[in-house]
Amino acid sequence: MNNVIIIGSGPAGLTAAITCAQKGLEVSVIDEYMKPGGRLLGQLYEQPDGSWWNGINESKKLFQQAVNLGVQFYLETPVFNIEKKDSLWVVYTDKETFQTTNLLLATGAAEAPVPIPGWTLPGVMSIGAAQIMTNVHRVKPGNRGLIIGINVLSSAIAMELKLAGVDIACLALPKNNQITHESAHPKKVLDSLLHVAHMAPSTFVKLGSKLMKNNFMKELGVTFYPRNGVKMWDIPIQLKKAVIEIYGEQEVEGVTIASISSKGEVIEGSEENIAVDFVCIAGGLYPLAELAALTGCPFHYIEELGGYVPLHNEQMMTPVEGLFVAGNITGIEGAKVAAAQGKIAGLSIAKRSGKHQLDEDLKDAVQQGADTRKNAYIQFHPEVDSGRRRIQEEWEEYLVNNTVQFF
Amino acid sequence: MTLRVTDHPILGKLEKKKAVTFTFNDKQYTGYEDESLAAALLANEIRTLRHHEESGSSRGIYCNIGHCFECRVSINGKQGVRACLTPLKGNMIVESHGKLPTPVRDWRSSDE
Amino acid sequence: MRESEMIICRCEEVTYQELLDTAITYSCSARELKLRTRAGMGYCGGRTCRSIVDQVAKQVGSEQSKKNISLKYQAPIRPVNFVDLGGEGK
Repeated sequence: MNNVIIIGSGPAGLTAAITCAQKGLEVSVIDEYMKPGGRLLGQLYEQPDGSWWNGINESKKLFQQAVNLGVQFYLETPVFNIEKKDSLWVVYTDKETFQTTNLLLATGAAEAPVPIPGWTLPGVMSIGAAQIMTNVHRVKPGNRGLIIGINVLSSAIAMELKLAGVDIACLALPKNNQITHESAHPKKVLDSLLHVAHMAPSTFVKLGSKLMKNNFMKELGVTFYPRNGVKMWDIPIQLKKAVIEIYGEQEVEGVTIASISSKGEVIEGSEENIAVDFVCIAGGLYPLAELAALTGCPFHYIEELGGYVPLHNEQMMTPVEGLFVAGNITGIEGAKVAAAQGKIAGLSIAKRSGKHQLDEDLKDAVQQGADTRKNAYIQFHPEVDSGRRRIQEEWEEYLVNNTVQFF
Repeated sequence: MTLRVTDHPILGKLEKKKAVTFTFNDKQYTGYEDESLAAALLANEIRTLRHHEESGSSRGIYCNIGHCFECRVSINGKQGVRACLTPLKGNMIVESHGKLPTPVRDWRSSDE
Repeated sequence: MRESEMIICRCEEVTYQELLDTAITYSCSARELKLRTRAGMGYCGGRTCRSIVDQVAKQVGSEQSKKNISLKYQAPIRPVNFVDLGGEGK
């Protein structure tokens, strides 16, 4: 019997495990991956103070701390169902069946696709796949690649690939169609790109973030955007070129790219082929919440948080008794915010388990979470704060008509 | 040219790991013990891991963290195992899945 | 390859055109679109294409409400061997 089972060993799950174990709870962590750390494993970037954020080391530290506190780990263990029987959670995995009074879902995020003709060819992979392959497994996804989708995640990973000596032909937009719309629209992409401006040494983008406060300037910016693109970390960013097709007989051989208007329409006759041996698809992240959905937990679609998120409050409780959530399952943000949420969830679980005098700690942890969000180096969505407010409002609205069993 | 990142400006040199041999579709390859099978295959420049059951189109790793199931192979006779989640062991027998003899689609359309 | 022939659901090889046509013809909800085309019903459980299928249903089908919904997911959320479901192997 466990006091708490945590599904997912990313920054949220590991921090929650540490917090619960420090409060004297019996904790088990389950993850289907072979290493603990989740998406934190792949992260590698230079922080404003010049030091490097190394996801592998950060993961190791958290894992070691959890192990030292007696946390049980079940890696390589996929969970395929969860179910409530009487007042206990039953967690079904490929290996064994677990029972617990408190269940924390910290399953993180999955990558949203950007379908492109030819995207099933071997050599086409998600941007996260390339990151894990390069930084964690230390195998390059190929010798020369092209990244489809220009956003915070793809810009950051492009730089990581470059660090490992992988040649990146360029970052380009997907071709405009009904399913790529915003991600294929130069102005909208430029808009979101301005939020990573502080990471870019390019004066164009830096200047841009100051100059392009209003829409008119943004339109100008895209219109005057140089046809050959600008460079970020020496990698061409092509806001005026879109990928039409990925080609290859059996595997990726190259990509057909064309010039586009400032509205994203393809200029006929401008097609050209670029030879590459791999292609990354960067459609952004969305909360991976399928396990929460199995419990009947209500969901809300909140764009600022990346998609459908399970209803939860600031203490990381859901309306389903004994079910908690933390990390990217609650909305797409960085690893430090996820860890802060893990701490909150851990304290909430300890409180529900009858540990006393945690109210102050819990309040501090919630504040710490908000501060971490405010100081985050990378904002996945510029309006993430308003998304967080909305889910809190939905929670309060829910309480009007429903009874939630608190602690 | 090897795809292995042996020396990384921030992460440093690749730590020494035990080399083991395994087979993929009856051919022998070398990889490092406990690295992911997907990584070992890619390091050997193998990108095509299976062919689609119905169309036979070639497929390789896509998400690399167990979500998409595109990298599923058969390992020591067990089918449908995700290469990206499997630590490589010595003497592993890995086989790719191929097109199935009776495409479901044909059966379905003739049944309608 | 033409854009209409582009695959959306990788597992079941359902194309963009197929989804569009079905959504228009039957004015589908996302769920009906899935059941009719098998998009999102394959090996990965829709983890890769679900957002796109939902989007097609929203744009040309009949999907509307986004508020306070219960997402339709069914166990198992990962493929399971019959042996692991309490068969001879245990």
